[in-house]
Amino acid sequence: MAERATAVAGAKTRPRRGGAPSFRVLIHRTVVYLLLIGVAILVIVPLMWAFSASFTPNEKVFAYAFPFTWRALFPVDFTLEGYKELFTRREGLFGRAVVNTLILSFSTVLLSGSASAMAGFAFARFEFRGRSLLFTLVLLTFMIPGPLTTIPLYILVSRLGWINTWQALILPGLANSLVIFVFRQFFAEISQDYLDAARVDGASWLRVLTSVVLPMSKPVLVTASLLLFLGQWNNFFWPLLVAPDPEFRVVQVAVSYAYEEYTTQWDLLLAGSTFAALIPILLVLPFQRYYVSGLVGGLRE
Amino acid sequence: MKRAERWIPYVLLLPALILLLVFYILPALAGFGEALYTSNLSRTNRAFVGFGNFAHILKDPTFWKSLRVTVVFSLVVNPLQTALALALAVLVNQRVRGIAVFRSIFLFPVVISLNITSTVWGLLLHQGGLVNGILVNLGLPRQPFLRSPGQALWTIIGIISWVGVSYWMMFFLAGLQGVPQAVYEAAAIDGASAWQIFTRVTLPLLRRVIAFVLVADTIINLFLFAPVWILTRGGPQLSTNLLMYDAYRRGVVWGDLGSMAAMVIVLLFITSAAVAMEFFVLRGDRE
Repeated sequence: MAERATAVAGAKTRPRRGGAPSFRVLIHRTVVYLLLIGVAILVIVPLMWAFSASFTPNEKVFAYAFPFTWRALFPVDFTLEGYKELFTRREGLFGRAVVNTLILSFSTVLLSGSASAMAGFAFARFEFRGRSLLFTLVLLTFMIPGPLTTIPLYILVSRLGWINTWQALILPGLANSLVIFVFRQFFAEISQDYLDAARVDGASWLRVLTSVVLPMSKPVLVTASLLLFLGQWNNFFWPLLVAPDPEFRVVQVAVSYAYEEYTTQWDLLLAGSTFAALIPILLVLPFQRYYVSGLVGGLRE
Repeated sequence: MKRAERWIPYVLLLPALILLLVFYILPALAGFGEALYTSNLSRTNRAFVGFGNFAHILKDPTFWKSLRVTVVFSLVVNPLQTALALALAVLVNQRVRGIAVFRSIFLFPVVISLNITSTVWGLLLHQGGLVNGILVNLGLPRQPFLRSPGQALWTIIGIISWVGVSYWMMFFLAGLQGVPQAVYEAAAIDGASAWQIFTRVTLPLLRRVIAFVLVADTIINLFLFAPVWILTRGGPQLSTNLLMYDAYRRGVVWGDLGSMAAMVIVLLFITSAAVAMEFFVLRGDRE
């Protein structure tokens, strides 16, 4: 992470070579920008349309999209009706889903974050019998595709009678080998001197972990929290399987049902989608570097 | 004192290891067992059928149709996403002003969930949606996209690539940033063209990342579910009935958990075969 920071800073402060850029450099730069803008349009236009249409009266959702005019990309007939309706209809079912998802996401950050941090610390800083064996085990789970375990897990959870329960919704998502890797990587880079100094002062390992290591671990805590929070906020297949009841419905499942149930209420559907998409975008944008470094963290292992 | 501390790492590891064991490793193993039983959700009807579930699936023409769909899908989507992601990473790795803004924009598809993406694209590709609006503006005929047996699978490939290309680009970009600038400068001084630098310097250095992306992408896409569930439910005429969706339908919709488990095992074999093939191909051109 630190390497990347200096690389970026290096690029900015790099002294310019004197003189006007050559013709070839200009051509190169133009092509690069044209391609970048082309791809950016492909990414941005669908999102701008969805965003604008979510603030548009239902009968006008497609009005400017077909045939296409620039008005399709801006909320020119601004209204909050879609959102109002979304949060009030069927006794606030969507609001309930938002609360459910927040409970799910925050408890995952807290519980899985703690368990993974402890495991990451053990792998990074202790020599113990069976370490490489246990670490191989963790690596192995990283290589088992999640969906492969989903169905046997679903069968297990059904047999336990856990369908539509909090434990079914939360517990399986707590096992996260990527987050363990991310913590291990970070803790391995902490200088041994800090730990030794605290140990000489007579602090217990628990104290070392909570009062020495954690305060200097903000970057990795941000990374892990984002990975875990977004993982649950965006989780769809598992909640669809184990929590189909309205009482336990999460945002992603609620929107997916809306796609089927309200095939004429586009504004509602788009308001739900925009809401579900905006949360992760707003959370990640300020912490991009932390998020991406975590995402690609598995690459190192 | 040292002696008393021996147990500390085990205590620290315990919660995480229990979670991984119970929710990853045991279910993965249990999946093999489940495939040998015929069962629905009540325990009483459970009976050992050996390979009966597999025989049942293999006799089902729907399975073979789904398998064909899945093979075509995989052969197209994985190389496509990997190649485009690499190209985009090279583009985003250029040191031009404002590149940070573009990097932020390309992160959007990654953080939005696949089913929201599917929902929004479903509306964009609607008969009277924005994509057809643009086609009409250009004087082209409207397209049915997801409603046509001939176009639905390709449309889904397009939609998931909107996500996949950005996602895997992050990995390639991380790989590219690990290559010291001096390597490129040295190649440029030796008079190598941009294309030569790419094929002779960048590609060999990224070999491990390419292998990782191709394999991980293959696995993820073989287990693709959300877009099919939301957009087509396997149709029209089973043209998008990917195996993962077929497994879901058998187990959750029809209550045939044994067949569902057997389907997942079949998927696992296909995954292993595909991954082995990719390693073989990537290793083959090392010489």
